[in-house]
Amino acid sequence: MRFHSITILTAAALLGLTGCANKKNKQYAGIDGDYVNGTPLGERPAGANFLGANVQRGLYAPVQFAFDSSSVAPDQESKVVAVADALKGNGRTVIVAGFTDERGTEEYNRSLGDKRALAVREALIAKGMQANNVQTVSFGKEMPVDSASNDAAWAKNRRAEFGVVK
Amino acid sequence: MTSLHRFFLSFLLALGVLVSPLFLPVLRATNEPTITIRKSDALNVSFSGIGGSDGSAASKVLQNDLNLAGWFALVQPGMASFTVSGVMSGGVLQGVVKKGTELVLSKNYTGNPRIAAHQFADDIVQTLTGHRGIATSLIAFVCNRSGRKEIYMADYDGANGRQLTHDNALSVSPSLSPNGRRIAYTGYQAGYADIYVIDLTTGSRIRLVKFPGTNSGPRFGPDGNEIACTMSKDGNPEIYIVGLGGGVHRVTRGRGSKSCATWSPNGSEIIYACDETGVPQLFRVTSRGGIGQQIVTGYGYCTEPNWSPDGQRIAFNVRSGGEFVIAVLDLVSGGGARIVGKGENPVWGADSRHLAYSTGGTISLLDVPTGKSFPIIAGLGKVTEPSWSR
Repeated sequence: MRFHSITILTAAALLGLTGCANKKNKQYAGIDGDYVNGTPLGERPAGANFLGANVQRGLYAPVQFAFDSSSVAPDQESKVVAVADALKGNGRTVIVAGFTDERGTEEYNRSLGDKRALAVREALIAKGMQANNVQTVSFGKEMPVDSASNDAAWAKNRRAEFGVVK
Repeated sequence: MTSLHRFFLSFLLALGVLVSPLFLPVLRATNEPTITIRKSDALNVSFSGIGGSDGSAASKVLQNDLNLAGWFALVQPGMASFTVSGVMSGGVLQGVVKKGTELVLSKNYTGNPRIAAHQFADDIVQTLTGHRGIATSLIAFVCNRSGRKEIYMADYDGANGRQLTHDNALSVSPSLSPNGRRIAYTGYQAGYADIYVIDLTTGSRIRLVKFPGTNSGPRFGPDGNEIACTMSKDGNPEIYIVGLGGGVHRVTRGRGSKSCATWSPNGSEIIYACDETGVPQLFRVTSRGGIGQQIVTGYGYCTEPNWSPDGQRIAFNVRSGGEFVIAVLDLVSGGGARIVGKGENPVWGADSRHLAYSTGGTISLLDVPTGKSFPIIAGLGKVTEPSWSR
């Protein structure tokens, strides 16, 4: 029994060192020995991008975000679960595209949209998808769902969409 | 191109829009000569035109350049400290500046009247004030006139407008190299945010940065051979430096997304926006890489910083009551930042005096010491994200 405990503890420690991707704020070695927040991305799926004909958009409800936020709120988690449950077993690749509303400067909004896509990616990984099967792209404030300038439109535009590679 | 040309020329307004001037600092040239310019210290200059068979076209351009320069008050000859004159024919502009009867500048410029006039204007600024001029510079920007966002370029006064990219996708965030010979931008034509570099002398283009994730916000370093940018390949948007000849190294670390890199004039430091505190603030880091130090601006939500060529100030955006204003912070004397105007994406000109910025449908030049604003590009739909060569 003691031996089993030690084995489990060792296995857990090893998992921690090799970088199990399930926890928030987990540190990973990037290039130059630096540490990063988040799971490094794998190669992009060959011949497939979010805007291409071989990627299906609109199959799953987008994750919506609060103003200035890139956290996946509890009431949005079911959307992530729906995608992970559908895709984790069959090795399909999903591209998560992040967007903002129009109320930010251009380049900062590209990074905010990126953070949203990456947050959804972390959540997908936590729900069982392989890190290499989730790619991201940020469009910042481009391509709004609703081009009106009011709270309702802005809320729709703050989102992360799922594109499934065929 | 001619109809674009007409669009640009028709908006060459000499009328300034007065933005109410706030407290005006004394501009001090650091390693440059002796003249200290205050608001009331504009040099009285007279210009009665350029003679010769090609003089008329050069005259118009030079008149506009002298108006835009900011250092001069154009007055009648009797009131002037300096007189500007010249003759242009056979492709040569002979430019002369006198102080009374004393010859201060006498130089020949070859080329078409527009280029010759711009070069003369820069020499006038340099000779009379010791500062670099903006008349020979270029402005790149994003325009959606074609139905898609593409990269365009124009002379700093709005002339010679031309469409650079025809990607028919989303082409944004341009950055001219300081000498104006190259331009980098973020292009989505492959369905991802990648960084492309165009050699403007040959027209050739490469896709320089295409790591997994998002690659955006390219900004040329002072020697024109490397680019700072934001990349998220390691799982978080961070600032990296990419060499045009190869090589990548990471600059930032820690929590929060990083974006909007701007270089110090000697390339040793980078200022960027980071939202680790919950809203984006400005941080400063050595370009070799390290821990960023937050810059105290006195405002929340600060983005899009741009470092002046003389190293003394940064201009940046502050979100204020649902709109964006332009703030300037003196890095040398400290204190808080001051608001100098409304608009987005302020970028300094070579004179460290003017800012180019966007207000949606217009790109304007702001003369920071006087608060006067001059529209230079308008009537093309939405024009945003200016970049200014030096």
